[in-house]
Amino acid sequence: MSASWPRLRDLGALLLRHAGFIVAISACVFVLVRVVPGDVVDFLGVQGDLDAAGQAKLRQELGLDRPLVLQFLDWGARALSGDFGRSLRFREPVVAMMARAAGATLQLAALSLAIGLVVGVALAVAATIWPRRWLDGLVDALNVWSIAIPTFCVGLGLILLFSIWLRWMPVLGNLPAAALVIGLDIAGQIVKPLREDLRETMAASHVRAARARGVPPARLVLRHVLPHSLSVLIALSGLILAGLIGGAVTVEVLFGLPGIGSLALDAIRGRDYPLVQAVVVVLAASILIVNALSQALLRLIDPREAPL
Amino acid sequence: MTEAAPRTAPPPRREPTLVTAVGGWPSAFGLAIVALAVFCAIFAPLLAQADPQAQNLLARNRPPGAAAWLGTDHLGRDVFSRLVHGARVSLAVGFAGLLVALVLGAGLAGLAVAAGRWPRRAFTAFVDLLRALPGVLLALVLVVALGSGTVPVILATGISFLPMFAVVTASTYEREARAGYVRSALVLGAGRLRILFVHVLPNVLGALVTLSAIILPRVITLESVLSFFGLGVSPDTPSWGRMIADASRFAERAPHALAAPTLALVLTTLAMALLGDGLRRRFDPLRRSLAR
Repeated sequence: MSASWPRLRDLGALLLRHAGFIVAISACVFVLVRVVPGDVVDFLGVQGDLDAAGQAKLRQELGLDRPLVLQFLDWGARALSGDFGRSLRFREPVVAMMARAAGATLQLAALSLAIGLVVGVALAVAATIWPRRWLDGLVDALNVWSIAIPTFCVGLGLILLFSIWLRWMPVLGNLPAAALVIGLDIAGQIVKPLREDLRETMAASHVRAARARGVPPARLVLRHVLPHSLSVLIALSGLILAGLIGGAVTVEVLFGLPGIGSLALDAIRGRDYPLVQAVVVVLAASILIVNALSQALLRLIDPREAPL
Repeated sequence: MTEAAPRTAPPPRREPTLVTAVGGWPSAFGLAIVALAVFCAIFAPLLAQADPQAQNLLARNRPPGAAAWLGTDHLGRDVFSRLVHGARVSLAVGFAGLLVALVLGAGLAGLAVAAGRWPRRAFTAFVDLLRALPGVLLALVLVVALGSGTVPVILATGISFLPMFAVVTASTYEREARAGYVRSALVLGAGRLRILFVHVLPNVLGALVTLSAIILPRVITLESVLSFFGLGVSPDTPSWGRMIADASRFAERAPHALAAPTLALVLTTLAMALLGDGLRRRFDPLRRSLAR
C-alpha cells in the first residue's frame, strides 16, 4: 500500500490545481461579461418601457451598482452552496433553468458518444482483424472527415440534403441527426489513434505468443489486443468531451434542441450574466474534472505513464 | 497497408511537378479550390453581377438562372454577388484571426519561455485556462466581452486558437534550448531575446507554418459559426456565416441561398485541410498524418 500514498498526494495536488483553474475561470468570465458596455437593464430598457429611474432602481435591486470584487465574492460564496442566482431576464433560479436544459444536452451527449465509440472502435478493430487497404483507407477518411469538415458544416449539409432537398426528416428537435453529426466527429477523432495503437500492440510479444498458440484473428484482437489499447480511449477522453461540448453548442442551435448550448447562446445574446457565468463555469469545470479523472485513471492502470 | 510491410527499395526519383511539390493529388485539389476562393475574394467587385447589398423586393427567393446565377435571397439580393464578396470577408477574417493566434500564441510563448521559470509557469497556466473552455464557448464569451463587429471577431477567434500555437512553440523552444547551437550562442554572450528570434525562431517556423495551415480553416469556420449565432461581423457585411444565418430562416422557399454559402464553406475548409495535410507531409515527413 505504501506505493499508493504518493500517488494520492499527486492526485490531491492535481485536484487543487484544477480547483484553482475553476476559480480563475469564474473570475475571468465574471469580469469579461461585465466590462461590456450595456447590461441586462439596458437590454430590458430597449425591449420594454423601463424609464431611467426604474433602471436605476432595478440596478440597485440586482446589486449591479456594487464594486465588482464584492459582487464576485458574493457570487462565489453562493455558487459553492449550489446557488448560482437568478436569471436576470426570466427571474428564475439559474440552477433550475440549467437542470431543464441539461436533459436535452445529456441525451445528445450520450447518443453522440455511443455512436462515436461504436463506430470508432468497431472500425479500428475491424481494420486490425482484417488488414485490408480499403479498411485503413476508411479509417483515414473518417479521420480526415472529422478534422477537415467542422460539425457546423456537416450539420448544415445534413439539413440541406435530408430536410430541405429530400424532405425526409424535420430539422427542429431532430436528436438522432444531431447526435450523428457529433458522433461521426468523435469517431473520426478516436479511430486513428486507436488504430495506430492496435497496430503497435499487434507486434507485442504476448500477441505473437497467442498467435503462435493458434488463437484466431478476431479473438486475438478482441481479447488480447483491444484491452491493452483501451488506455488510448481514456487518454483521449478529455479531447472527446471537449469536442462533445464544443460541438453540442453549435449543433444544438443548428437543430433547435433546447439544451445547454442553446441556453448559453440565449444568455449571451441577452446579457444575462448569472446564466452565462453559471453555464461557462459548469462546462469548464466538467471538462477539467474529466481531464483530471482520466489522467489519474491512466496513471493508475498504466504505471509507465508519466507522474501527474 | 499490411501489418509488417517488408522494406522495399525507395522508388526511383521522379521529376518534381506541381502536384508532387504540394504533396500529392488531394492537396493539389485543395490548392486549386483555395486558389479559386482567393481569386474570388480579390476580384469580387469585378466578378459580382450586382451590388451584394442591393435589395429587390420584387425578385425575392428567385431560383438560379441567367439573371442571377445563383438566384436571389429573401430580400432579393443576388446570391452569387454576396458569395464572392463573402469570400472576401470570410478569408480576410480567417487570415487576420490566424495572424492574431500565430503572433500572440507563438510570440508570447517564446517570450515566456525565454524569460525564465516563473513567467513560463504563469504562461502555461494561462494557456491551460484558455484550453479548459471548448473552442466555440471561449470565442462566444470573448465576443460578448469585446462586442460584435469585424475587429472583435478577429480578436476572439485569434485568442481561441492561441493555445495551439503556444503549446507547439513552447515545446519546440524547450527542445531547441538544449541543443548545442543555442548553448554555444549563450556562451558567446548572446542575449536571450537574440537567441529567441535569431537562432531558434527559424527552427520553429516549419512547425508553425504547418500548424497555420491546419488552423486557418478552423478560424474561418469559427467566424461563420459566430456570424450564424448573430454575434459575428456586422449585419451589413456579407460573410458566409451571415449568409447562412439569413438563409436558414427561409430555407424552405430559397434552398439555393442556403446551399451556396454552405457549399463554399465546406469546400474551402476541406480544401485547406487537404492542402495543409499535404504540405505537412511534404515538409514534415516524420509526422505522417493530420495531427490535432
